[in-house]
Amino acid sequence: MAETLAWRKPRQRMAPPAPRQASREMIGSSISMRSVVKTYGAFCAADRISLDVEPGEFITLLGPSGSGKTTLLNLLAGFQTIDGGEILIDGRSIAHVPTHRRGFGMVFQSYALFPNMTVSQNVAFPLRMAGVDRATSDRRVAETLEMMRLSDHARKTPFEMSGGQQQRVAIARAIVMRPKVVLMDEPLSALDRRLRESIQIEIRALHQTIGSTILFVTHDQSEALTMSDRIAVMDKGHIIQVGRPVDIYRQPQSRFVASFVGESNLIEAEILENRGGTMRLRSRSGLVFDAQSRDASASGTATVLVRPERIALRETATADSVAATVTSALFMGETLRIEAEMAGGETLLIRCQDTAARSLPQIGSRIHVSWGAQDCWVLA
Amino acid sequence: MTDMPLSDAAISRRRPLLRNPALLLLPATLFLGVIYVLPLIDLARVSLSGEPWWVHFDRVFSVPLYWDSLVRTMQIALTVACLCALFGYPTALLIQRSRGTLQVLIATAVILPYFIAILIRTYAWMVLLGRNGPINKFAIWLGLYDQPLALLFNRGTVLLGMTAVLMPLMVLSIYSSLSRLDPGLTRAALASGAGPLAVFWRVLLPLTLPGIGAGFLLVFVSALGFFITPTLLGGPADQMFAMHITQQADSITGEGFLQALAVVLLLITLVVVGIAGRLMGFEFIWGGGKLSEPAEAAVKGHSGSARPRRRSPATVIADMIGWPLLRIMGRMPASAGTWTVRALGFLIICTLILPILVVIIISFSEASYLTFPPPGWSLKWYEKFFSDSNWMSAFWNSLGIAALSAVIAVTLGASAAMGIVRSEIRYKSALMLLLVSPMIVPPVVLGLSLYSLFLQLGLVGTYFGLAAAHAIGGIPIVVVIVAASLQAVDRKLEQSAAVHGASPLTVFRTVTLPAIAPGLAAAVFFAFLHSFDELVLSLFLSSPRMKTLPLMLWADINYQLNPVLAVVSTLEVLLVVGGIILARPVLSRSGGGH
Repeated sequence: MAETLAWRKPRQRMAPPAPRQASREMIGSSISMRSVVKTYGAFCAADRISLDVEPGEFITLLGPSGSGKTTLLNLLAGFQTIDGGEILIDGRSIAHVPTHRRGFGMVFQSYALFPNMTVSQNVAFPLRMAGVDRATSDRRVAETLEMMRLSDHARKTPFEMSGGQQQRVAIARAIVMRPKVVLMDEPLSALDRRLRESIQIEIRALHQTIGSTILFVTHDQSEALTMSDRIAVMDKGHIIQVGRPVDIYRQPQSRFVASFVGESNLIEAEILENRGGTMRLRSRSGLVFDAQSRDASASGTATVLVRPERIALRETATADSVAATVTSALFMGETLRIEAEMAGGETLLIRCQDTAARSLPQIGSRIHVSWGAQDCWVLA
Repeated sequence: MTDMPLSDAAISRRRPLLRNPALLLLPATLFLGVIYVLPLIDLARVSLSGEPWWVHFDRVFSVPLYWDSLVRTMQIALTVACLCALFGYPTALLIQRSRGTLQVLIATAVILPYFIAILIRTYAWMVLLGRNGPINKFAIWLGLYDQPLALLFNRGTVLLGMTAVLMPLMVLSIYSSLSRLDPGLTRAALASGAGPLAVFWRVLLPLTLPGIGAGFLLVFVSALGFFITPTLLGGPADQMFAMHITQQADSITGEGFLQALAVVLLLITLVVVGIAGRLMGFEFIWGGGKLSEPAEAAVKGHSGSARPRRRSPATVIADMIGWPLLRIMGRMPASAGTWTVRALGFLIICTLILPILVVIIISFSEASYLTFPPPGWSLKWYEKFFSDSNWMSAFWNSLGIAALSAVIAVTLGASAAMGIVRSEIRYKSALMLLLVSPMIVPPVVLGLSLYSLFLQLGLVGTYFGLAAAHAIGGIPIVVVIVAASLQAVDRKLEQSAAVHGASPLTVFRTVTLPAIAPGLAAAVFFAFLHSFDELVLSLFLSSPRMKTLPLMLWADINYQLNPVLAVVSTLEVLLVVGGIILARPVLSRSGGGH
């Protein structure tokens, strides 16, 4: 925290131009997209997208490739021109501000470190471009490298470093100006899993420290869940749902979100009774169960989401349990992954903790599963 | 696994010396050794045969005629290289930044002239700048002046012609270096607050310096040995060094002095290439990537040209002068830079394409002298070409020699490329250097050195002699193209074929050959074209009874400028366009080399 405080002291008054001035209370900018449109010929990469991002928020654009998330990032960075709508930063349109005057920081998937410069020259690049004097620049670079634990590598060239180190250099370059907005374009996709997790935590902590608004693009749902304040799930040029990770995961509003984020069992069921907030439903296998719902007026049939880890596995039948036949059982370390077929022909995916008391069920054996009303969510 | 011992035995029996891919290098090396290296050594021996040994060299350096010409040659070559770099960079940028059809068009406009004979492109400039040429006509029409001016035969036209002829070399070299950059770098610089000028100065320029350097040297070295363009476009005051050698060869000079002239030219070229090679690696000659040396590869890794250095004096000066200048320019509207690039690029493309278009139009002229626009249209010059037995026999001679030369060059060059890429021998770089070095040896020097060998062997004025001589220059082309295609072949494919039971020969036939087939086809075409266009060696090695098409052209250009030349040029353009259309997929991969 001492490091943080040191950063927030106003260290120089003359150097960077006004919009980039590191103020005492460093808070990011608000970003506001108003029905943004971007088309490539007949293909609509961004179709009237509107999104409001709070100052200092960590927001993730999550979607499969071709969903328009990178397009949105490129529009924000100014690499592409917008075809309709507008983007406001702190209430001001950036339509006529060229990329290099937007004052953002950006981390690229390929890192895009300048191969003709050392690590410290790379990190110093934005400072040089802003015309910061050498002494200040040197100090700031040293501090940022310290922060990213790169001080020992200052004189190396990007090629001499590992992927994780290169990524940290790229992040250092993006934050060295204390930008109000940092854009991150799938920055972790080239790293192996273990490294990715540690850098995820690092970026998260960094966000707390510098307070910039971070717009993070990824196709990895677990990354999005781990890091974000809010997630915007995108598909085919639209934002499907925006919300806190926990809401996106527990209360998805569509089949797409439910199946793209996390593993899911989607059960078709007939609505027997809608009590507003909860529903009573009957599945094709005849199981009658309660589920939570947002839609108080729905009737007819509905799709119910049950997360695999919410399904309880029982040795014996109980009043609320239903029988199923195991079709596949895998030991995966911390969890067991079991697929079972219910009487109505529906397949259930079940994940349960690996405990000493539980053994892997035999394929073909009968099991009893159950879930409570809290574990089911009716998709709108 | 009962047959394990058996296959073990098979391996040990089947791995004698004869299976070593390095052996594939032997034919080309022998061929070049006998017909290329030995004559050059002999040339040096003769040049030193005076009494005392330095007497001929003393004359080269003490007679003002030669010394002045040497200085002039260096000046011209340097100016041409600078002009090419200055105008080539925007053109390369333009190619890189444009998209789709436009990009293809611009790239073709640059590449197409590259494969058309220098003789023909120079001839096109003579037409363009002639008394009744389009430029004079246009200027008079505009009212700039009343009487046609003598635009030809001065230093300006030499520089213009040579720059235009060598420009594609520079553009391709810079473009290949630009296109290898991660596009993210530009974006990263922009996102870091760098304006377009700063992106150019801090990122693009430093990272493409190797490409500029390579292009600069190729242009400089080619310009040093230039002979055709300055002879045709220059006046008496623009004599370049290579021209003295041909003139001396025509007159009867004492044995030795002529060779000394050639050796001086060769030495200057080699010294320049040697220094450049030390600084940036000899790869610049063939414009390709590094060859993997068994031992070197691991050590070198990514080091090399792009390695950042501490602030060297050069960067300090660049920062103190260049950068403030750019910042002043940065006050101009942002679009100014884009428009500068477009305007310069467009100018260059016009310079490259216009002469060729004018020649094609002239070939359909009705007039019996060169005038533009033609007073009327006719095909009579085509008729004349196809009915003139001299032209036709020259045409068939050229065709035959080019075909034979292509066969020699492709057979030797392709197997050598195989050996270079696939063998594990040491001194691979040195061998590659030998194989591609004919690209940089001034053709005049080569022609002179071959002349005495061919006299002894009775090869002067023979089909085979000319084809073999042309193959010296054809082999590097083939080696570069085929090696590039071979390196692009995924070794995993070959390994998987082998694992699944294919013998080495089957692997080659079913996996390797199909993969390099386009490259091989391109190599055949360019080796053929190289011979078909070759003039300088033919000047030395042909006899009056056996003329090739370029020789006929050369004689006619010096004697009378008539539209038959335009006909020949048009046919050649057709040949090249056809070839490029066939070879385009390969070109896009191996651009940058010769």
